[in-house]
Amino acid sequence: MSILYDDEQQAIASESRRVLDARMDKTRLLGLLERTGAFDKPFWDTAVEQGWTALAVPEAQGGLGLGLIELGLVAQAAGAATAGAPFLTTNYGAICALLASGNADLQGQWLPKLASGEAVAAIAFAEGNAPLPPEPRSVFAGGHLSGEKPGVTAGLIADLAVVWCHHEDKPALVLVELADARRETVDSFDNGRLFADLAFARTPATLLVEGDAAQAAALDILARMAVVTAHEQIGGAEALLFIARDYANERKAFGQPIGAFQSVKHRIAELYGLVEIARANAIHAAAQEGQPGFLKAAAAARLSATEAYDTAARDTVQIHGGAGVTWDSGLHLHMRRARSLAIEQGNMLFWEDLLVDQLMGEAA
Amino acid sequence: MSEDLDSYRLKARAWLQSVAPTFGKAALKGVPEEEHLAMGRRYQRAKFEAGFAGIHWDPELGGQGLTPLHKVIFEQEEMGFGMPIGYFGVSLGISVPVVLRFAQDREWARERAVAALRGDEIWCQLFSEPSGGSDLAGLRTKVEPDGNGWKLNGQKLWTTFAQHSHYGVIIARNDPTVAKHKGLTFFWLDMKAPGVTVRPIKLAAAGSPHVNEVFFDDVKLTDGQRLSPVGGGFGTAMATLMIERYSASDPTGFGPTTATFVDLAREAEVNGRPAIEDGRVRSAIARSYAMRSGLEAITTRAMKMMAAGMEPGPEGALNKLVSVRSRQKLSELAIDLMGNLGLAWHPGASSKDDWVESWLAAPTGRIAGGADEMLLNTIAERILGLPQDHRPDKGVPFNQIPA
Ligand SMILES: Cc1cc2nc3c(=O)[nH]c(=O)nc-3n(C[C@H](O)[C@H](O)[C@H](O)COP(=O)(O)OP(=O)(O)OC[C@H]3O[C@@H](n4cnc5c(N)ncnc54)[C@H](O)[C@@H]3O)c2cc1C
Repeated sequence: MSILYDDEQQAIASESRRVLDARMDKTRLLGLLERTGAFDKPFWDTAVEQGWTALAVPEAQGGLGLGLIELGLVAQAAGAATAGAPFLTTNYGAICALLASGNADLQGQWLPKLASGEAVAAIAFAEGNAPLPPEPRSVFAGGHLSGEKPGVTAGLIADLAVVWCHHEDKPALVLVELADARRETVDSFDNGRLFADLAFARTPATLLVEGDAAQAAALDILARMAVVTAHEQIGGAEALLFIARDYANERKAFGQPIGAFQSVKHRIAELYGLVEIARANAIHAAAQEGQPGFLKAAAAARLSATEAYDTAARDTVQIHGGAGVTWDSGLHLHMRRARSLAIEQGNMLFWEDLLVDQLMGEAA
Repeated sequence: MSEDLDSYRLKARAWLQSVAPTFGKAALKGVPEEEHLAMGRRYQRAKFEAGFAGIHWDPELGGQGLTPLHKVIFEQEEMGFGMPIGYFGVSLGISVPVVLRFAQDREWARERAVAALRGDEIWCQLFSEPSGGSDLAGLRTKVEPDGNGWKLNGQKLWTTFAQHSHYGVIIARNDPTVAKHKGLTFFWLDMKAPGVTVRPIKLAAAGSPHVNEVFFDDVKLTDGQRLSPVGGGFGTAMATLMIERYSASDPTGFGPTTATFVDLAREAEVNGRPAIEDGRVRSAIARSYAMRSGLEAITTRAMKMMAAGMEPGPEGALNKLVSVRSRQKLSELAIDLMGNLGLAWHPGASSKDDWVESWLAAPTGRIAGGADEMLLNTIAERILGLPQDHRPDKGVPFNQIPA
C-alpha cells in the first residue's frame, strides 16, 4: 500500500530541503569534479549534525529506529542539491547487512559508529559488469577474503565494506575492514562519489550470512539501497524539471518565451509525468519495506526513477541551448549524477530482468 | 463517512460476483447490439436496486449519499467484470450532473436523475463539431431567439451514443459578433424533438462506443431549457468537464493487463527462442509495469488523501495520457509476437483481453476526451505555469476569425 507522509516525515522532508538549500554550493561541487579523491565533506558534516546517519539504526544501537521512508526523504533533498551523498546509501546497506547477520557482537561494534557517522561503509557486490554476479569470483576462506571489486562507491575512504563472495561453494556476505585492502582510485566522470577498485589478498574478514540466506539478504540490501537511490534520482529529476520550467518561462526567442513553443512546453510536461510516476513508485516501494511485494516495488521504483533522471538531464540541457552545455551552468552536475546513480545500484538491464522474473512467478 | 471502506469493497465485490453470470464478459459474448443495450439497461437497473447507482449523489436525487471514494472503490471492483456500463458513462458522468447543477426546473431535473440512474433514460453530450474539437469554443452551431424561446441550427459531431439517447446537453453560438468564448450558451435538448437527425459514424474499432453526427434543423428550445446565462455557456461547459474528476482510472489504459502480456510472451517465440527470454520483450514488460504501478500508486494515494479529507494532487491528470499511449505500444508488440497469428480479427472482442482490438481502439483513447497534445498543454499551463500557446483568435469577434 502506498502511504501519506505523517507530520514527522513531512518535517524531515522540509527540514532537510531547507538545510541543504542553505549549505550547498554549486561552485564547490563543480570543483569536486576536477579533483579525484576529494568528497563533499560539508555535506557529510551536515548529515551527521542533522542526525541523518542515525535514521535507520535501531534505537538500542544509538540510532533513531526509523527506516527507508525517512531516509528516502533525506535522499530526495540531497538529490535535488546534487549533494555528494554516497554514504547515505552505502551506510544504510551496511546497517541492513549487519542486522541481517544477527551477529550481536558485530552489531554492537559497528552500528553505533555508523549511527554517529564516525564510520563509513561501502557495499561491494558487483564484479565485472554484473551488479550481483550469481557466481562471485571473490572467495572467503578461513577468515580471509581474496578477490577484486571494481568501481566501489565510497570505496576510497570507507572504513569497512560488505562484500558479496563465495564461501565453500555457497554465496556469502562478509564484512571486511578496509584498512588492509588495496584501493585504487577510479578517475570518474562523477568524481566525489569516491569510486575505487578494491583488491583483497587474504584480507581478514567476518562472515555475515551464507547460502540461500545470503542470496536473499544481498538482493534485499540491493533493493533497499535502490529505493534510497530512487528517491535521490527523483530529487534530481524534479530539480531539473523546475530549472527547465523556469528557464522556459524566462528565455525569449522569436518574440516569445521559449516555453510557448510546444516542442519545448510538451517536453517539460512529459518530464512532469516521468517525475510523478517515479515519485509514486518510490513512495510505494518505501512503504513496502519488509513486505512480500518489496522486490517488485523496488524494481519499479528503480526503473522509473532512472528513466526520469536521465531524461530530465537530457531535456533540460537541450532546453537551455548553448548555455546548457557550459561548465558554469552546472547542469552537467545533474547529467553526471544521473548516470552514476543509474549504475551504482545495478543498471536498468539488471532491474528489468529481475522485475520480469518476479512477474513471471505471478502470471502463471 | 459512515461505512468502513474495506467492508464496502467486499460488499461491492460480492454483489458484482453474484450478477456477473447474468451481465459479465461471458454472458455478453457474441450478443447482438440491440440485446447488448438492453442488457446494459437491465444491469443499470439492477445496480440501482442494489444501491450501487449514484453512489456519491444526494439521496434526494436517487443517490446513496456516500463519498466519491466509495464510488471509486465500486468502479475499481467493477472494472474487471466487463459489465455493459459504456452506455452510461457520459450520461451519468457528465450530462446528468450538469443538468442537476444548472437546470431551472429542479423537480424535473430530479425526475430525470432518477430515470437515468435506473437506466431508463440515457443522455449524450453535444459539444464537439466538425470545426471545434480541441478548440471547443470554435463551434458554429447557431442558436437564435425565437418568440419566447430559441431556435437551433447546425451540426454536432462525435456524439457518443446519440442514437440511443433520450436527451442531450448542448452548447451553441448565440452571438457571432463577440469574441469566441463570449457568445456561447448552454442548453438541454430532447433528442426526439422535431428537426433533430442522428446519423451514426462507423469507427475503425468494433468495440468502441458508437459515435454520431447530429443535425439540427430549426429545432425549438424553450428558455427553460437554458442551462447557462446567455453568452455564459463556455464557463458552464468548463465546469461540466471538471465535474467528474475522480472517475475510476485504469492503469492499463483500459487495455489488457501486464499478466496477459507475460502469458503471451511465454508462449510466443522469437527466432526459435522463447520470447520471454528476449531482452527487448523483457524491457517492454518491465517498463510498462513500472509505469502502470506508478499510476496505481498515484490513484491509491489520491484515494487516501480524499479519505483523509484532503484534496488530491494534480498528478491524476497523467492517467489517461500515459496509460493509453503505453497500451498502444504494448499492443503493437503483442501483435508482433503473434506474427501471422496476429493478423486475425474478432470483431466484438474486448479491448481488455484481445490485443488486436486493444490496438485498433487505442487511437480513440488518445483523442476522445482531450487529445494527448491538449492534455500536455493542460499539464504545462495549469500545473507547471508555462505560457499559453499563441492564440491569434484571442479577442477577435468570432465572425472575423478566418475560417
Ligand atoms: C470515440 C469518440 C467519442 C467521442 N465522444 C464525444 C461526445 O460524446 N461528445 C462530444 O462532444 N465529443 C466527443 N468526442 C470528440 C472529442 O472530444 C474530440 O474528437 C477531441 O476533443 C479532438 O477534437 P478533434 O477530433 O476535432 O481534433 P482536432 O481538434 O481537429 O485535433 C487534430 C489534431 O490536432 C491537435 N491539436 C489541436 N489543437 C492543438 C493545440 N492547441 N496544440 C497542439 N495540438 C493541437 C490534436 O491534438 C490532434 O492531434 C468523441 C471523440 C471520439 C473519437
